[in-house]
Amino acid sequence: MALHLNLLHEEILEQRQRQRDPLKIGMMVLGGLGALMLLYYLWNAYKVLEIRNRLGQAQHDWSKVEPKVTAAQKRSTELNGIISTTKVLDGMIDTRFFWAPFLEKLSRCVALNAQLTSIDGTVLDDGKISIVIEGLAAGREPRAAAEELRQLLLEQLGQSYQEVKVEFKTLEDLDTIVKIGGSNQAMARFGINATFTTQASKPSPTPGPRTKVRGEPRS
Amino acid sequence: MKQIKVNLSKDQIKKLMLSAMGFVVLVYVYFSFFLGPLNNSRDTMLGQINELQGKVANSKNELTKTAKLEKQAETATNRFAALKALSPEGAPIAWFPPRMKTFFANQEIDKATARLENSNPYKETDLANWMRYNWVIELPQADFASLGKAVAALENAEPLLSITRVNIKTLSEDPQFQQVTMVASTAMVKR
Repeated sequence: MALHLNLLHEEILEQRQRQRDPLKIGMMVLGGLGALMLLYYLWNAYKVLEIRNRLGQAQHDWSKVEPKVTAAQKRSTELNGIISTTKVLDGMIDTRFFWAPFLEKLSRCVALNAQLTSIDGTVLDDGKISIVIEGLAAGREPRAAAEELRQLLLEQLGQSYQEVKVEFKTLEDLDTIVKIGGSNQAMARFGINATFTTQASKPSPTPGPRTKVRGEPRS
Repeated sequence: MKQIKVNLSKDQIKKLMLSAMGFVVLVYVYFSFFLGPLNNSRDTMLGQINELQGKVANSKNELTKTAKLEKQAETATNRFAALKALSPEGAPIAWFPPRMKTFFANQEIDKATARLENSNPYKETDLANWMRYNWVIELPQADFASLGKAVAALENAEPLLSITRVNIKTLSEDPQFQQVTMVASTAMVKR
């Protein structure tokens, strides 16, 4: 067997040790990893740039639409306000009490032998109408004439209004004698309280043609 | 099973540790200062894009809704304009009494006067721009038939006027005529 002498074994060992240097290998691995990471980062950055462009486009679209939307929202609020205000005003208009039809009805109830001296009507807070009527009635039975007026009023008001109450507040005979149609007749003074509420369907504010049911009213 | 034995010198172990530390630092720096902020920025922008796209989509609905509302509110708008037109420019005390005087004069009732009793705002929030004015209208000499016609005409001509009280008294010196006092409230636009 031939003797083989390696005189360069130390150099070879050193070279091998240099090649196996963990730090060098580690640096190479890190460098490779760093390169991969950089590539991945660049790929992500490219995607982000794309997204930024999309954002710019979206912002541009929104900036074009925004003034119109703001104006539309403002107009919408204004219109809603107008609608609700009109609704409330219409409600007020619809729920008000019309006095003209009432006065017309009242005039139909007053016969020739009765005279109204005072009418005081009030629309109460709860929507009820309160009327105080004072007057004079003449006839052989003046109290009966006053009662006839009360009943006629009850009947007339009952046709158009609800919860109608017509009651005498006062009814007293007077000593005065009045001459009607050439005959002397006794007189009575009366006071009537009437209360009622308006119906859902209200009478027209324009009075209809006057019909002389029981003669012309005196008051 | 074979066990591979790696004999590392102290120096090599140190270098390996150093490399491992380098790896940790690299990963930390990469995620904390590069990829992390980039991803955050991407997420933020995506969120903004979604928000803007949602807004644009909603805006189309909003515009359509407003256009529809505009059509639906046409009647209300016209009515509102008509009601508003009932309140002329200027203080009501300046124009309402003369208007009433002229109105009743046209109805053959002379000497009509109107005075302001009080005014106050409405409680309803929808009527924030409106005021309630209470007036006392006095007709010292009115025929009952003319009064009835005049009241009907007034109630027709002034939809925002509501008569809350009527007082009619006969004139002792002239029973043909009555003395009338009316309390009326009107809704008027704040000027």
